[in-house]
Amino acid sequence: MSALLENHIVELLQERNEKAISLLYENYSDTLYGVAFKVVKDEMLAQDVLQESFVKIWKKADSYDPTKAKLFTWLFRITRNTAIDKLRSSKTKTDKEIQIDVSDVYKLGVEGVHPDFIDMRTHLNTIDHKYQIVLEALFFEGMTQQEASEELDIPLGTIKSRLKIGLRELRKIYIETTLLLFFINLIA
Amino acid sequence: MMKEKIKIFLNTDLLEKYLLGLTTDLETLQVERYIAMYPEVRKEYSELQDNLEDFAKSYALKAPEGLKEKILNTVKAQNTSKRKFINFAIAASFITFLFAAASYFFYHQNRSLQEENSVVTNQIKVLEADMKQRLEDVRNQFIVLNNPQTKKYTVMGNKKARDLKAVAYVNPVKKLSYINVQNLPHLQEGQCLQMWAEVNGKMINLGIIKEAGNKDNLLAMPYADNAVGYITIEPEGGNQTPTVDNIVANIAF
Repeated sequence: MSALLENHIVELLQERNEKAISLLYENYSDTLYGVAFKVVKDEMLAQDVLQESFVKIWKKADSYDPTKAKLFTWLFRITRNTAIDKLRSSKTKTDKEIQIDVSDVYKLGVEGVHPDFIDMRTHLNTIDHKYQIVLEALFFEGMTQQEASEELDIPLGTIKSRLKIGLRELRKIYIETTLLLFFINLIA
Repeated sequence: MMKEKIKIFLNTDLLEKYLLGLTTDLETLQVERYIAMYPEVRKEYSELQDNLEDFAKSYALKAPEGLKEKILNTVKAQNTSKRKFINFAIAASFITFLFAAASYFFYHQNRSLQEENSVVTNQIKVLEADMKQRLEDVRNQFIVLNNPQTKKYTVMGNKKARDLKAVAYVNPVKKLSYINVQNLPHLQEGQCLQMWAEVNGKMINLGIIKEAGNKDNLLAMPYADNAVGYITIEPEGGNQTPTVDNIVANIAF
């Protein structure tokens, strides 16, 4: 996301210009929909979450402070929290467990995986599994670090370090991928 | 020392919790202070944000067709309904204001009418009492004047007040007596005529005879057997006891 476009969207949001929502959708909907789907593991629910999130984004536009968080961070927080609330209110715990199993199967069949990120996804799988489960537990299962520690039976300190290292690894992989794509493009 | 403090801070999970918006209000303040104060923390937070975006992007899915239109319409509808609500709120406020103003106006009008009403009622009561009194007087006067047993005395002023003319009516059966002052003598400045009645050896003040208004009126006097009435000249405003030297007339009933 270019800083210029981000600033433009923020300005439109603060002017309460509806164009802001259109631009946000064009630039962030796939990522936010992916986040919502990863949390609720249901297409219909994920659509509801995305819709509710955008309404919240529009309503809370006044409260967004660019000095405190990047635009995506703010969007992510709203979408993640909306998704987790949705999941909690619409499912009992058992339902949720069943849903996880079903969706793991279902996920394989999802056609909507964004082509730009297929490479990334492949690379993500190369992040050590132990980091990935921690990141997913924290980001998508709505667990606190304490809860993740109990659920995954991993000491709290380890959870913390895996979160940090995991996020770094990811950054490294992302940069490598970008470079790789860049070179591939050069060669081609 | 400072480095140590920052290191300790970065070793907690506060920054990660803050990234996801999961800190308490107190923690939020603490984290924001660290971000504002220390470039190391600022850099770490910035990296975390970038990592989060990359991490989230790796899960991106094509959002379903038509969802964009649905969302844009919802947001638009939100705006319209908000605008509608604002219009409605303005209208409602205006009506409320009108209603309040009208209530205030009618309340005050009602109150002033009530006040006026009580004043009028009081006036009517006073008038009624006054009228009863007058009727009673007129009735008594009629009885006295019409009664064959009523005696009529002509009262003339002595040499101090030659012009004084009065008529007294006394009815010993009904025990009523009246006096009608027909003509007043010319008095010096600062003087007035006062009437008295001697009843059982006591002098009773019957009040000042005024210039005007008394001519056609019968003035009631306390009745007593063998009472004597006097008229004296007194200083203006009347006197407590009659000035015997200034007796201008006496009426023996």
